[in-house]
Amino acid sequence: MTVGSQVKSCYSSLKNVEATLDVLANQAQKQESQQAFFTASQAITEIKTDLQQQVIQLTKEEPQYK
Amino acid sequence: MPDWINIILRSLTLLAVLFLITKLLGAKQLSQLNVFEYISGIVLGGIVAIITLDTNANLIYGLLAMFIWFIVPYGVEYISLKSKSFRDLTQGKSVVFIQDGKIMEDNMKKHGYSTDDLLEKLRDNNIFQFADVEFAVLEPSGSLSVLPKRENRPLTAKDLGLKLAPEKEPQTVMMDGRVLLEPLTNLNLNPKWLETELDKQNVSFENVFLAQADTNGQLTVDLYDDMIAVPAPTEIPILVATMKKCQADLELFALATENEQAKQMYETNSLKLQQAIDGVSPYLNE
Repeated sequence: MTVGSQVKSCYSSLKNVEATLDVLANQAQKQESQQAFFTASQAITEIKTDLQQQVIQLTKEEPQYK
Repeated sequence: MPDWINIILRSLTLLAVLFLITKLLGAKQLSQLNVFEYISGIVLGGIVAIITLDTNANLIYGLLAMFIWFIVPYGVEYISLKSKSFRDLTQGKSVVFIQDGKIMEDNMKKHGYSTDDLLEKLRDNNIFQFADVEFAVLEPSGSLSVLPKRENRPLTAKDLGLKLAPEKEPQTVMMDGRVLLEPLTNLNLNPKWLETELDKQNVSFENVFLAQADTNGQLTVDLYDDMIAVPAPTEIPILVATMKKCQADLELFALATENEQAKQMYETNSLKLQQAIDGVSPYLNE
């Protein structure tokens, strides 16, 4: 696996985590748990944006693996 | 009228009256009854037994006696609900047996408790040494309530300063293969959700004996067919594992890259992810 594909797979995993956290935030019965899941989901979104930039950059650097 | 019809009629009437009386006297447990209520219960039962079997006895007299034995305890209970001093008189007061770790011999003697009785009651509470007790009180019902010294009390999450997620009671959403709508609505869920969840576990509706959903909406089921293995809920364990894996990946990328800017980005994000994990883990019961 090239670095590019590794970062990509991490990016997809984070997407999965974000979605699951959103589901949990919606299902949670208490305000407090809802808030906690929501905050975590937001943090993941930020990380995802950063990682997406990196994926684009790596694709440019390793065009042969695109 | 033949005797046997008489007895049947008497039985049915008195059963109905007795049922009504016990309903009105309230839903106290037998063990919580004080002596007075206990005795009136027995007397009521006795009256019913005599009036039912003795065909010579006057049914009206029996009902009258039952009424008296019902109305007096009922009145006493009603007044004691309103007045504290009357309650102390009828239901008795609790008596302190051990205070600040010291046994109150006078109180014990006054209530006819020997040292052996006290030790026995303490052992009932799993305490074998009186030195472990900070405070003990004899309730009017005859049971001893014991407060152990601080160091002898079981450890709680509060003692450890642990932060725990608030939890609502789990709801039973299916019983005997039938969906219970009210518990589902309590969790803000609908039968559609249940259908999807069961599909995910590859289980059919008819096969479900019992299904419960917890605070986080995780479903656990028991099937009629015990030969089929039901997977335990995996959503949350997988979530936690994925988050941890991503965090480790980010750290690895940070170590592997030679680009300073990328390294910086990976490091801050790995830290951010760690914080997110720490933030949600109390709520995932991990």
